[in-house]
Amino acid sequence: MNVIFAIGFTVCTAVLLFIDPDGALASMLAGGEKALSLTLKMTVIYAVWLGIFELAERSMLTEKFARLLKPLNRFLFGELPGKANEYVSLNISANMLGMSGATTPMGIKSIAELEKFPDTGYQIAMFFVINATSIQLLPTSVLALRTSLGSLSPSDIILPTILATAVSTVVGILLVKLFLRKKQK
Amino acid sequence: MKYILPALFLFIILYALCKKVRPYDAFVSGAGQAIPFAVKLFPYLAAIFVLTELFEASGAADAVSAFLAPLFRLLGIPPELSKLVLVKPFSGNGALALLTEIYNTYGVDSYIARCASVIYGSSETVFYVAAVYFAGAKTKNLAAPIFISLFASLCACVFACFICLVM
Repeated sequence: MNVIFAIGFTVCTAVLLFIDPDGALASMLAGGEKALSLTLKMTVIYAVWLGIFELAERSMLTEKFARLLKPLNRFLFGELPGKANEYVSLNISANMLGMSGATTPMGIKSIAELEKFPDTGYQIAMFFVINATSIQLLPTSVLALRTSLGSLSPSDIILPTILATAVSTVVGILLVKLFLRKKQK
Repeated sequence: MKYILPALFLFIILYALCKKVRPYDAFVSGAGQAIPFAVKLFPYLAAIFVLTELFEASGAADAVSAFLAPLFRLLGIPPELSKLVLVKPFSGNGALALLTEIYNTYGVDSYIARCASVIYGSSETVFYVAAVYFAGAKTKNLAAPIFISLFASLCACVFACFICLVM
């Protein structure tokens, strides 16, 4: 991230110095403002989902659920230590159901839990790639936009979208297995 | 689909009551973790969004997409879509604005617009996911996973443009 930030920041400010000197600070402040409003939105989402999640966790519901997904997790991650199995299961199923509010809190908890154990670099990488290429079963915002603009068949794109996200997830999983597994062992 | 969430919430509270969990205490203690998460999250989001805004204000987004267009064309991605492919990993809102623009320019049911829909729907904002998920984490070396995710998303874009020709 440091390299990307260094290059991006340098190039962009250098360009703005010549074409739009007033725009530099203005656009940075606009970015900060967006970050703050998104953080507030995320706080609300976290509060609701983490509250619900705590209920499910104290009633041992999450543990039961994680047991169901164990075969899938074993295939993807190998060993998942501690409570990571529960958090990861919840994150992945929330992803597949398109419950975008629930994925992030579970995701952060998963990574925090994985980091408590040594040699979990592979699991963390796999977990990140699955989330960053996540399978979305119903592209709701695209459908809504297409309908509102008068598309003749807005739902045409559902199947191609599902196939394309599957492609990205499968490619991602294979690449992680191929390149990052050996380094860890 | 719309019944899933309320049904899920109802199930969770009923199950918790059966197990004699104190629901109010549990909810409060869970929700209390939200603020520390948000406090850790904010600086990372600020960095990403400042960079994204600079990227667009400086015109670098246009320049890079013009530069990459021939390469994308080689992979079967129409040049009209190169900016969308480029912006999506950074900014969901930016990509949504571009998608709307594409719909208005080329017509919602055109090949370009359908490709754009699939590309938008099938890829994630990789850098944003990285910032959010690793906000409080000790792992800082994300180069390999980020690169893999970007490459996988590019594969999905190529596939999207291909499948929209067929379907």
